[in-house]
Amino acid sequence: MSVQTEGTDTAGGPAVREGRAPAPPRGADRASRSPAGRPAAAPYLLLLPALLATLVLLGWPLVKNGMLSFQNLNPRQLIQHLTEWNGFHNYQQVLTGPDFWKVVERSVLFTAANVVLIMLFGTLIGLLLARLGKKMRLTLLVGLVLAWAMPVIAATTVYQWLFAQRFGVVNWVLDKLGWHSMADYNWMGSQFSTFSVIVLLIVWQSIPFVAINLYAATTTIPKELYEAASLDGAGAWQSFTFVTLPFLRPFLYSTTFLEVIWVFKAFPQVFAMNEGGPDRLTETLPIYAYVEGVGNQHFGVGAAISFLTILVLLVITSYYLRMVLKQEEDEL
Amino acid sequence: MKRSLFGRIWPNATAVVLFVGFVFPVYWMFATAFKPTGDIITENPVWFPTHFTFGHFDKAVHADHFWTLVANSVTVTLCSVLLSLVIALFAAFALARMRFKGRRGFIVTFMLAQMAPWEVMIIAIYMIVRDSDMLDSLVPLTVFYAMMVLPLTVLTLRGYIAAVPKELEESAMVDGCTRLQAFRKVIFPLLAPGLMATSLFGFITAWNEFPLVLILNKDIEKQTLPLWLSQFQTAFGDDWGATMAASSLFALPILILFIFLQRKAVSGLTDGAVKG
Amino acid sequence: MKRKLASAIVIAGMMVSVAACGGNSGNDSKDAGPESWKGQTLTVWTMDGSAPPQWSKDVQAAFEKKTGAKLKFETQKWDGIQQKITTALSEDNPPDVLEVGNTQTPAYAATGGLADLGDLKRSIGADWTASVSKSSVYEGKQYAAPWYFANRVVIYNKKIWAQAGIKSTPKTRDEFLKDLDTIGKKTDAEPIYLPGQNWYFLDGLIVGQGGDLVKKQGDKYVSNLADPKVAAAMEIYKKYAAYSKAPKDKDEANPQQAAVFAKGKTGAFIGMGWEAATAVQANKSIEKDLGYFTIPGATADKPEGVFLGGSNLAVAQNSKKQSLAKEFLKIALSDQYEGELAKLSGVIPNKESLESNLKGNAAAEAAAPGAAVGGTTPLIPEWAAVENTPNPIKSYMTAVLNGKAPAAAAKDVEGQINQRLAQQN
Repeated sequence: MSVQTEGTDTAGGPAVREGRAPAPPRGADRASRSPAGRPAAAPYLLLLPALLATLVLLGWPLVKNGMLSFQNLNPRQLIQHLTEWNGFHNYQQVLTGPDFWKVVERSVLFTAANVVLIMLFGTLIGLLLARLGKKMRLTLLVGLVLAWAMPVIAATTVYQWLFAQRFGVVNWVLDKLGWHSMADYNWMGSQFSTFSVIVLLIVWQSIPFVAINLYAATTTIPKELYEAASLDGAGAWQSFTFVTLPFLRPFLYSTTFLEVIWVFKAFPQVFAMNEGGPDRLTETLPIYAYVEGVGNQHFGVGAAISFLTILVLLVITSYYLRMVLKQEEDEL
Repeated sequence: MKRSLFGRIWPNATAVVLFVGFVFPVYWMFATAFKPTGDIITENPVWFPTHFTFGHFDKAVHADHFWTLVANSVTVTLCSVLLSLVIALFAAFALARMRFKGRRGFIVTFMLAQMAPWEVMIIAIYMIVRDSDMLDSLVPLTVFYAMMVLPLTVLTLRGYIAAVPKELEESAMVDGCTRLQAFRKVIFPLLAPGLMATSLFGFITAWNEFPLVLILNKDIEKQTLPLWLSQFQTAFGDDWGATMAASSLFALPILILFIFLQRKAVSGLTDGAVKG
Repeated sequence: MKRKLASAIVIAGMMVSVAACGGNSGNDSKDAGPESWKGQTLTVWTMDGSAPPQWSKDVQAAFEKKTGAKLKFETQKWDGIQQKITTALSEDNPPDVLEVGNTQTPAYAATGGLADLGDLKRSIGADWTASVSKSSVYEGKQYAAPWYFANRVVIYNKKIWAQAGIKSTPKTRDEFLKDLDTIGKKTDAEPIYLPGQNWYFLDGLIVGQGGDLVKKQGDKYVSNLADPKVAAAMEIYKKYAAYSKAPKDKDEANPQQAAVFAKGKTGAFIGMGWEAATAVQANKSIEKDLGYFTIPGATADKPEGVFLGGSNLAVAQNSKKQSLAKEFLKIALSDQYEGELAKLSGVIPNKESLESNLKGNAAAEAAAPGAAVGGTTPLIPEWAAVENTPNPIKSYMTAVLNGKAPAAAAKDVEGQINQRLAQQN
């Protein structure tokens, strides 16, 4: 096999962008990047508003949150504006408590399950879109966009109705399909069934983003590559693994990264569905932090958990972040 | 290459099944909202409403201060999207078109910022806003929502700007435009679809946000629609007609916006967002 | 370029100032007594369902006439109320007066967020019923004023009971269960709507069994959920719940049980007298079928134990309108309006002398025998944390209703309860 793939998987996936407009070859682009006469301060000034906003609106709460995590902060302290430092006590309490590591494990598994399903089906549906005729494709696109656009809270409510124990349409269908024990099934009654509904909801809402973008990305793959591949005698599977996949790889990486973040942070879907129940068995890290901190009015402990949550997310995404750091180095 | 009959049929068949799967929850929401209660609470679902009623909608919009909440939601959403777009545009331009020290660090900063779990920081945010004496106001909501979407907006717009051929800009400058004019007259029009696509993410985020407004704004006149929806759901949890009517009302603006911007969103997000 | 940059900087600056400074618009004027009242607005938080509209209107008119100030009632939802009150009490401009549940009052008193109402007690509280005033006293000081009290009754649909051929209301628990059985067999109605987590009903049953939810161990309170008396109460609950198709993992507010009842397909539910008004609001035609009776006990001579729920009115420590707030309390708690509230809602007023107002109110008459044998949750500041969502006792209830042995279910959640009881304030 000697299918040419170079020039398609340049750093970080700008390949996809080239599908647009009469883009010049990258070499020319790079050569023309002359910094002549540009004041050195300009980029910093342009970045200033965004950086200031980040610093004030994100950095400040983060620091504040960090400070709270070292305080004994309960209703009394909050109401009287007292600051009672208690060192690492909150962290100690959380890390040695019976729940935290269980919740971490659950959150990681939850994220993994969702992201695998989203990426797998998102990719398959994206590839399917590429194979469909024009009319059928438009129809499916409309369906995907509708699911994508549903506001999370409304979507969660709708899923509660679909899976309602009494008169819910899902139980009715399962019953009619011969699964009679499901006629009055309480989906919110166990950990597994509650998670099933939540995962279905999240996957349903997230697939469109992946599928639509993946489809659009495939449209930018130069036809010549496939021609060359089939000249070389490649079958459908081979041209997929040697042309399509390498071309889409950067896209898949970055999308997976986004989905990991979005799923891990998913709050309203999990919380509104069953408030982390039954018996707190569907609490993921963000829910756990919220329930302990805000619900249980143990604000210092909640802050400590949220800080640990950020750390866990950083660890999970560190691989991708390292990759980006490297790529950006290459790109300019 | 000729495809077999089976090869031609299965993609379409799968597409139909998928279409139904994706659309059904949305359809069921609207269908339930329009059905009289007798058709909702039945042993056998009524798949297609035959009798229509606006009773559920009537119940939904007659909640206290409904229109105030609508106005608040629209104001906050529009302002925060606009604010984040403007700020992001500057940053994205620098990141896409300029070479300078620390560029990589800035990009990673925005990537990290994108990960912020806002819901778990609300007590910290609450204390900051409280101590700044800004509770019960739409301003903190607006700026925090803008911040929630800012990182992704920057990263996405950066992709769009990079996709605009540099030559266009340069030839404009050769023709005597200043850099700013070149930006306004050449890049900006090409960016418009990208801006619209990017704004969708902001619209959804701001329109949906719930935990922050719950804790910041106790005054009902300064609250937003997600609170109404959730309270409505608590009060009428069993009344699926009313709940679905409320959900429909809540979802409608975003659905319309998406359908309206869909073409642009699709082509746009490909160009931009993929470069997370 | 320059112009754009300048505007960018302006925007950034704006955001900083907006977030950081925001100006100090707090009302810092000192409370100067009656002369300063005119033009002020007093904010009062009441809970959803507590204050009948007529009462609010009358009190508002009287208050505004007497003080020249404005009065704003804001109705609060029960969902997330603890967090709402906690944050509100920490603010510079909190609601001036708030309704606080009797079981929550000790906890809020302990936070220092409530003002000392000792002088109010001296001027108008001499004859407050001692038993109901107890919850508003913390470490010897009066932190709230008792407002009203209520306990649960059985609210039933007369039409359905007649359809089942039942002539009179039950006098014992066994009769009640038998009636429910009859309704289930003879009508297509659900005999009783009792969701699995109506935990205040369980608390009443525990009171009836003479049980206690906490016990003292050394100088600390720990869970007593595994007590056989609690298990016995839970078994009674289970017998009732067997006649209901209500979800086992929901409480009576999700969905509102009165709204379910209002559909006319439910024989009865266990609720507060005023919930009947909620039902009527949802369905006007249910009004003529409404009936009430005392929750029957094991024998005819002693009704079932009930949770004596109630609400106090407290003044926020941070309120800058202390004298105006107290003036409001004097009006709202005066014999005239306290009596009106009792009459309108059928709740027990804060003075025994006002109980005559309950005459002729069917709900209140049904509630009265229960109140005599009622009790509360433990009146200790540590208790409030136990009821925070997710309430472990509710998990216990669902577990037992799903077939778990009470002792085993109690064991599952006791760790959680003890942790909350030990929570520092």
